[in-house]
Parts: sequence; C-alpha cells; structure tokens
Amino acid sequence: MQEILDKLNAVRGVGGCLVLSRDGLPMASALRQGADENALAAALATAIDHGQTLGNRLDLGAVKMVQSLSVQGGVLVLNAGNGFLAIVMDPGANLALLQIEARPFAERVAQRLTL
Amino acid sequence: MESEFERLRKKVENYPSASAYNRLAELARLNGNVADAERVCQRCIKEFPRNGQAYVILAEIALAGSRREEALRHLHAAVERDQRSFGGHRLLAEMASEAGEFSAALDHFRHLQTLKPGDGTIGARIEQLTAQSAAQSAARSAPATTNATTTVTMDAVRAPANPTTTATPAASPPTRSTVRTPLPRSGTATITRGAALASLAKEDGVRGVVVFDAHGRVVVSAGLPEGRAELVAALAAEITAGNQAVHSVLGQDQPNCWVVEAERGQIVAFKRDANLTLAAVAAAGVRIALLELRARQALLDLGVA
Repeated sequence: MQEILDKLNAVRGVGGCLVLSRDGLPMASALRQGADENALAAALATAIDHGQTLGNRLDLGAVKMVQSLSVQGGVLVLNAGNGFLAIVMDPGANLALLQIEARPFAERVAQRLTL
Repeated sequence: MESEFERLRKKVENYPSASAYNRLAELARLNGNVADAERVCQRCIKEFPRNGQAYVILAEIALAGSRREEALRHLHAAVERDQRSFGGHRLLAEMASEAGEFSAALDHFRHLQTLKPGDGTIGARIEQLTAQSAAQSAARSAPATTNATTTVTMDAVRAPANPTTTATPAASPPTRSTVRTPLPRSGTATITRGAALASLAKEDGVRGVVVFDAHGRVVVSAGLPEGRAELVAALAAEITAGNQAVHSVLGQDQPNCWVVEAERGQIVAFKRDANLTLAAVAAAGVRIALLELRARQALLDLGVA
C-alpha cells in the first residue's frame, strides 16, 4: 500500500495522499511532514459521509469522487472500494490530468483493500 | 494605436474574451471606424451574452448619432444582462437626469453607489438629484398651480442642476411619466433573483439550483421540487463545513468550490461570498467547468459575488 502511495506522490501536482476507511480512520498515508493524518481523515470522512447522505436522498447512487478546491490547492477523494484514496493537490495542479492519473492508483488501492 | 488594434484583433481570434472584444470595439471607435466597432460589439454579444459593456459601447455610438431611443434600448439590455454594469447604470443615470427623470436617475446613482461605495462624485450627484427630485415632487403635488408658481418652482429645480445638463423644463414637463430600470436591490429583487437562478436551472443536465447561507438556510432556489431545496441546502452546508475543516487541517485557505460525484449525478457548489454558497444538482455528464461559469454568472446576477 505504501509503495502505491509513494508512487502517487511522485505524480506532478500531488502534495500528499492518504487512504482512509469508510468510518474515517487513516489506513496508510504519505503526507507531508507536519500534516495530521488523523484530523485529516476525520474531516474528510465527515465531508464524504454528508456527500453520500445527500447522494442517497437525491437517488444519485454511491459517491465516486469528492473534490474541494481553494486558491492554495485542494483535495481529491476517490472511491477505493472499502475505503477512499485522498490526494492533496498542490496549488496550480492540473485537476483534469490528476483525475486521469489518479484513477489507476485508486483501483490498485481498492484491490489491496479487498485482499 | 494601429499595432495595438491588430494585436487585439489577433487576440480575439485566438483567445476570445469579453474584455478583449470590448477594448477592440473601443479602439475601432476611437479610430473613427464606427461600423467596425458595432460589428465587434455584436460578435461579443453573440459569444458573451452576459457581457454588458458591449451594449454600453453600442449605446455610446447611438448617442453620438443622436439616436436616444436606440441608446436607451442598449443600456437597458446592458443592465439587464449585467447588473454590475457600471457604465450602463452611469449612462442611464445621466440620461434620466437630463430628461428630468430625477427619481429614475437617483435609482441608478444609488445602485452605482453600491458598486463603488466610496465614490465622492456619485455621492454628490445623489445629493444634487435628491434636492431636484424633492423640488419636482413639490411642484407636482401643488394644487391649482398657476403659471407663475410653476415658473418659480421649476427655477428652484433648475438651480442646483449639473452645469453640463442640457435639459430644460420645457423638454421635461412635470407631468411626464418616468421610465424606471429594474434594479437588483429594488422592490423587484425577488423576481430578478428568481430569474437569475432559473436560467442556470434550465441549463442542459442541471436538475436544480439552490443558494444557501452558512447555516444551511435557503436564500433562493430554482428547479428543485418542494422540500428538496431545504434538504440540499442543509446537507450541502454540512459538506461545505466538512471541506472547510479539511482545508484548515492542510493549512490551506477556505475552499471556493466542491464537487460530489456519484453514480447517477453530481452536486457542485461554488462559494464567492463569505456566507452564501450556490449548489447545483446536475446529471453525471455535465461539465463542471461550464457549470462553474454559469453558476458564477448567476451569483453575479444575484449580487452575491
């Protein structure tokens, strides 16, 4: 798992990544020094959980992706089967390219989580 | 001037933008090529229908040709499409003032003041027009007005007038009806705000739109069934708060956009104001970048941004 995250960190525009369980617990992380993975996983789980609730109420199905953007960067969260892969984006990251490049990583994480 | 003109012409061909079109039209007009300027404006309007400045330039061209009614038509289109069109409101204010329609002029100047709160010139014009409007109202409400009284009253109206004004009392009799432009912060605000969101809700693939505050309370919505707007607002406010927490943990500034993509649709939210957020429920295939453009325009129309 750590190897997958380290490779993902090498992708341009990625400023760190984290795998979290559906109940908001960090499972593996490759975040920059000083980042609090527990706090980040908990905050991400809250946003994902409310997103899933809203998706259910609007009959939109399961959440595939959550992204949140600001001037200083953003976060991209991809569904990874039994968990989620969260990617911290650097400012100015190419979001479209990152989404394309990150999907295979999410699939690999999903495979690991089902083993 | 010529090289700048050519540079802009190439720019609008390769990277068209409303501002580039407007500058090109202005330059064409300065060069004396009015027909070219009008063509550029029409093309700009076609490509960027929400851009009010192109209409303002067309209005200025019409005014230069003494076509007042045509100018008014363009200016009303300018402020209708872009309620923050400073040039549009400014010209409408001056034209109304010159026609003796002080109340309408005041409405426009007050709107200009909301766009530029610290502008002393606008403040001075508002004071001037308030006095003129009061004198005009007094003249209208005076019972059994004699010719002599009217003359005195209209003199009082004329006294504080802008020295550049060309209007005379004879050209604008006190009984003349005033034509008002609907303003975003006037009594017609509810209709205007609903219309601003309705156009976004009618975009292909958009199922509904809601603007809500930080507490999840609905400000205005369009396209969502009864009760759904409240649900979307409440949960979207929670997602916004959750994302704010994520960005705080990462030491980033507050998010201005978030997307939740699900199997059969997506929820997209854009935040421009400190308190208000616009959330749109859309089909899965809707392009976020396009939706963002439309949503930010809707926020501008609402006076939120």
